[in-house]
Amino acid sequence: MTDDREATSDETLCRRIAARDDAAFDVLVARYQARAYRVAWSLLRNAEDARDVSQEAFIRVWEAAERFRGDARFSTWFYRILVNVCLDHKRRGRWWTRLVARDADRDAEESLVERQPAPGPDPGDQASEAQTMMRLWNAVHQLSAQQRAAVILYAQEHLSTAEIADVLRVAEPTVRVHLHRAVAALRKELAP
Amino acid sequence: MTRERPDDLTAAERDLLARATAGSPAPEPRWGEYRAELRARLEARRSIGARLRRWWARPAPIALSFGLATALLLFTLHPVERRPDFAALDEAVLGARLDLLEHYHVVERLDLLENFEVIRRLDDVPSREG
Repeated sequence: MTDDREATSDETLCRRIAARDDAAFDVLVARYQARAYRVAWSLLRNAEDARDVSQEAFIRVWEAAERFRGDARFSTWFYRILVNVCLDHKRRGRWWTRLVARDADRDAEESLVERQPAPGPDPGDQASEAQTMMRLWNAVHQLSAQQRAAVILYAQEHLSTAEIADVLRVAEPTVRVHLHRAVAALRKELAP
Repeated sequence: MTRERPDDLTAAERDLLARATAGSPAPEPRWGEYRAELRARLEARRSIGARLRRWWARPAPIALSFGLATALLLFTLHPVERRPDFAALDEAVLGARLDLLEHYHVVERLDLLENFEVIRRLDDVPSREG
């Protein structure tokens, strides 16, 4: 009897993709599309780039599926591909792209404030909280690329420090240092 | 899903990180469009890859690549010599023959005779004895 869970595990799907199974690829994309896009968005902060880069990560999965050895979880392998594509994309960014991105960030900041829920009984507190979150969000963006990736994988994707170390190909203590430095930077941002 | 997280962070620090990453939620794309676009990109990549493999398997591209590689190798081993700088060469010759200046009056006369085509017809000039 075939175990259904085994049949549809990420690792099994990846093996089927290596054998050029289109249906398996579609299932895997549907399973990972939201988190791929979310991570790319958090790292790049541009909707078009996030779309482009997350799709590129899936294409790389298709191309490299036969090299997935299965000694790590598929999700770890996928996050590694995704984060690498994002960091490559950032490195490749030209000066004019950065200028445009800066404008887009400004727009995003404004739209975030606009996106906040309608003022309730204490509008002052809510506006203040939105501003604080925006300051923290911007402070994350000031971190180094690897620190930022560590923070996003930890706090947003709920990966353990060991998994993050595996994704970023660094030692686990390095990930802890990244997280502590990020906390220190965020506290500094909140200091009056 | 609850996971063991040996990260030395306090609950307050975890909360701080969570708030920082929740600052700007990702805009939600239309997933149907997203997957269709991805499928089109994948097909394009596959067809480009297949076309390139087919193109490189043909004899002409192989010969072309071989020719280019050979030309590059030859160019690296024997770089094209620069054209000589004639002005510099002239100066060098003149510099080596400064003694001519000591007999400038003779050179001047020879120049004059050359202008009258005397030197070219030197054999026709009757000798004083003759």
